[in-house]
Formats: sequence, structure tokens, C-alpha cells
Amino acid sequence: MDALARLRGLIIDDPQGKDFRVHRDVFRDPDVFDWEMRHIFEATWVFLGLESQVPSAHDYMTTFIGRHPVVVSRDDKGELHCFINSCRHRGALVCHRAFGNRKYHVCQYHGWAYDSSGRNVHLKDREQAGYPPSFDKEDHDLVKVRKFAGYRGFLFASLAADVPSLEEHLGEARWFLDLIADQGEEGVECVPGRIVFRYRANWKMQLENAVDPYHFTSTHASYIQVLERRQKSAAADVPTSIYTNIRNAGIRRGSFAFARGHAAMWGDTPSPQARALFPSYESLVARHGEVRARWMFHTRNLSLFPNMQIAENASLQLRVMRPLSAGATEMAIWCIGPKGEAAEARRQRIRQYEDFFNPSGLATPDDVANYEDCQSGLAAWSIAWQQGHVRGFEASVAGADRFADEIGLQPERSLIGPVELGDETAFHPAYREWLRLIEAGLREDESRAHVAARGAT
Amino acid sequence: MSGAFSIDQVADLLYREAWLLDQQRWKEWLDLFAPDCRFWVPAWNQDHELVDDPDTGLSFIYYESRGGLEDRVWRAKSGTSVASTPLPRTCHQVTNIRCEEEASGRLRVRSAWNCHIFDLRAKEQHTFFGHYTHLLAADGEKLRIAEKKIVLQNDLITGFIDFYCV
Repeated sequence: MDALARLRGLIIDDPQGKDFRVHRDVFRDPDVFDWEMRHIFEATWVFLGLESQVPSAHDYMTTFIGRHPVVVSRDDKGELHCFINSCRHRGALVCHRAFGNRKYHVCQYHGWAYDSSGRNVHLKDREQAGYPPSFDKEDHDLVKVRKFAGYRGFLFASLAADVPSLEEHLGEARWFLDLIADQGEEGVECVPGRIVFRYRANWKMQLENAVDPYHFTSTHASYIQVLERRQKSAAADVPTSIYTNIRNAGIRRGSFAFARGHAAMWGDTPSPQARALFPSYESLVARHGEVRARWMFHTRNLSLFPNMQIAENASLQLRVMRPLSAGATEMAIWCIGPKGEAAEARRQRIRQYEDFFNPSGLATPDDVANYEDCQSGLAAWSIAWQQGHVRGFEASVAGADRFADEIGLQPERSLIGPVELGDETAFHPAYREWLRLIEAGLREDESRAHVAARGAT
Repeated sequence: MSGAFSIDQVADLLYREAWLLDQQRWKEWLDLFAPDCRFWVPAWNQDHELVDDPDTGLSFIYYESRGGLEDRVWRAKSGTSVASTPLPRTCHQVTNIRCEEEASGRLRVRSAWNCHIFDLRAKEQHTFFGHYTHLLAADGEKLRIAEKKIVLQNDLITGFIDFYCV
């Protein structure tokens, strides 16, 4: 079957017929993974990191755009650059560490040297080289990514040039980034400590999970029980949690679906006084008004397609997803907080983060174990479709609901209900964008193949 | 070895701790710790730089009392934690034990460890390894753990980690 026809058979998106289905090959087929790398991760905006992670001249960090190793580097004038981490000569990595500070990146193989803007500044023994003139006509600088931009200190890049501006790409989802960035007068920062884990399952398990309120009471049953134990034992030294009293709180969960694959889930916070931000409430009201301050105290999970998520609930977490294969994913995770946060609030934020979010925490391991169980079960290749992606369908409304109106937001769809509603419609934007991007990529492949075929005859 | 305890007694405590962890005799394992013990698995900040202050940087696990460990033991045995059901089989090995007595009379014990983990869920195995620093204090006839710092050298985590795999 040709690729486009196969692709179209993987998602059923039929609003009129009230149907939305995801084929299981989306999670397990190596060809699909290859499409995702070429036509999503290497063809749209992806998240790289925070500007505050490279604060000084010549600071750099390394990461990936799809399969491409890249470097984000600040030059001597303070300007940021993003280039492919591959020497123009033989292809060796020129940066080996996750973070560092280097004025020059010198390839260890033959000594080609680049400055912190990626410009080639030295080619060892060039005078004696006997290069023909054609060599001098080539650009020997490290290859810049086509698009590189920041929004409120969040850095994104695209290997493809034909993408809209970053602001347009983020669209209405920007409001949720603003709500993070505005928590500190000078923005937010990563807490020291770099934690990376890998799980044996598809990256879209994590993509779904971030805006999935349905799993919480079953997957995190042991976490909820630990909180109840703590209340009974009243041990002084264990972390407080915003989820204390979740069973009795009668809380709501809402979601917003945005264009270009983004989505947000939000809800009431059962115990807002447990938030590290709580002592700052009055000053946040003074700076940002009552409505925005109140929204800072709602739980909010933001999923920016394809690779970045921010979860503000038990603490505040930034997640960067790196798919390794159809059945393996790497997660770089960060605890973030306002710059200049008071020491006691920072301590509380860190303890709550460790308690819930770490791969050594009391909640994330249960998510990860479930992803891996799903991937194992998906080996049953004869079963074609996942079930239940229409959960929440009847509660979802087109455009803004009164909560979106309150904050001047114009999502594509909105939903609100009791936490037990367990909405899954918030997954739909990601699958729509997934389909749109791969389809565009495969069409381009096809037209290129036609041109090549014409040229050959 | 100075004081009332020999290096053999110190080593025996570390071996016993490893044995109790692997046998899932975690109530007895908890009893080796003082109620106000510090338990610390710091995260790495840079390639060769650990987070040195748990209040300004991240740890994998950080507690200033036994309560947090008791929570974890309860959760692992609860049957309601997906990640802990089934529990993996583990084998801790502790070696390179060196011991020095502090002015307070407490013993600072440094060692190397590894833990082989057979994940019964995935039918896969992996190993974590690193260094321990135990601070041991006399409690009557016995030694108790006042502090345990676990440095995890291979911190690219496979799936997840808990107290029984470090």
C-alpha cells in the first residue's frame, strides 16, 4: 500500500459522526517512527531549552532536533545561535557535554575550529593543504538550523524553513507559557540537577498522559494512599502535597484544544496552601491581577506539540521528550521555579518535585510502568484500534467556554466537568497535527519522486 | 579500628543492609536506620559535579527522617503501585569499605556498590552502581545508620528507581 493511503488509515477523525480513533500501528510501526522523525521532529518547531540555561557569553547546551544533535550557544556579544553538532569535515561532534562554556569548539579529529557562533575560524594547516579553489567557495561554518527563536525565555528551533513564526506556531497556547514566565519578576529558571530517564515505550504515551486526567486515581492510587497515611501519622518531615484531600475536594477538570497540536488541561487545586507559590499570592495579584493570579494556582498541564510539556500541579515540571525508536523514549526533566525565589519556598518546591515527578518519585514510576505495559500489549499486532479516544466528546464545545472567556483565550475547543469525566478529547489536537504534518511530508516525498522519475526518463 | 566497633562489625552492617534489601525484609532494613536519619541520593549537576545542597538543587531521593523511607516501603508492598508490582529481583554488592572515626565518635564509612536488577515486568536486566557514604552511630551495643548518601554514577535512569535498586 502506498504511504499516504496507509497514513490516512491510522487516524479516524470524524466530528460529524462523533468518532475519533487512533490505530495501534501509530505506536509500534518503525515506518511510522521514521515518518515522525522526518516530517514532524525535523520539519516543525521543537523545544530546545530555556534561555536561562545558557546565561553567559560562550555558554552552550547540547540537545537534539529529531535525530540531529544540535548545540545552543551564546556568542561573545550575548547573541544565541543554534547549529548542528557535527564538524563540517568528517562529521564528528564538536560539543560533548550537556552543558558547558567554550569560546571555541575545536573538532578533536583534525582540529577544525569554530567560535561560539558556529563560525569556522581555523582550518588546521590550511596553507599547506593544496585545496583546489572549489573548496574555498564552500561554507565551512557549522550548519545553522533554519529557524531559531525564543518566546519568554523558552527556546525553539525548526530544521525546516517553511514554518510560521514561533508566535504563530504557539498561538493561544502562549497564554499558558506567560503564566509560567510571569511567576518570577525576572522569569523562571531550572533548579540545578539534570535528570534524564528512558522508558521502553512510544513517545506518544507521554504525549497523551500529560493531558490525561482519567489515569490519576488508578495509576497513582499508591501516591494518594501515601498522602492519606501521612495525614494520619502527622510525620513532620514528609513533603506536603496539593493533592492532599483530593478524594473529598469535588474538583473540576477542564481542557482547551489549540491549533497546531497543542493542548492544556487545568483544574482546581485541592490544597492550594501547599503550593510553593502560596506565600507570593498577594504580590502575584498586585503584579498580574486577581484572575491571572488565580489561574497560577489552578493545576495546569500544557502540552506543546511535539516535544515539550509543562506540568504545574504537585510542583512545577518541564519535560522534553526525545523519541529514540517506536518503542523507546528519552525524557529530560527539570524542576523549574521563579528566579529569586525565597529559600524556604524553593526547598518546598524541590521536595514536592522529588516526591511526585522524579523517576525515583512516588508517581512518575507508575506512569512509566504503565507506558511500558501498553507497549508490551501493543505487540498484539492483530488488534488494530485503541478504544475510548472519544471520552469527553459530548462535554466538549467548539471555541471558548466561560473559563476561556474569563482569560480572553480563544481555543479551538473547550471542556469542563468533574474530575471523573476523564476527558480524552484533549489528545485530539496532537493527533490532528501529527496527521497534517506527516501527510504534508509524504506528499512532498511523492512529488519529489515524480520529478525524479520524470528526470530519469 | 578505634572505639568499640571493629571494621568487621562495620562491614557486617553494610552486608546485612544489602541482604535485607534483596530479601525484601524492608521493615528490618528500616530498623537499621535512626528515626532522624538523613537519606540522600543527589542528582548530578554537571558531568562530574553532584548537587551539593539538597535545598537548592535536586536529589533523586532526600529525607531528613525515616518517615519518607517508611512511606516508600509501604508503597512498594501496597500492591497499588504499578511500578512495584511485581517487584524486581535485586542483588546488591558492597565492597571497597573504608572507615574513619569522626571527632563525635561516629563512623564515616565509604564503600562502592552495585545493584543488579532483574525487572520481572519487562523481563530485562540492568545495573546501577556508585558509592555509599554511611555515617554510623552507636546505639547501645549496636551500630545504627545516622546518614546514608548514595552517589549514583550511571544516572541515565532505566525506567525508574526506588530505594530497593540503589
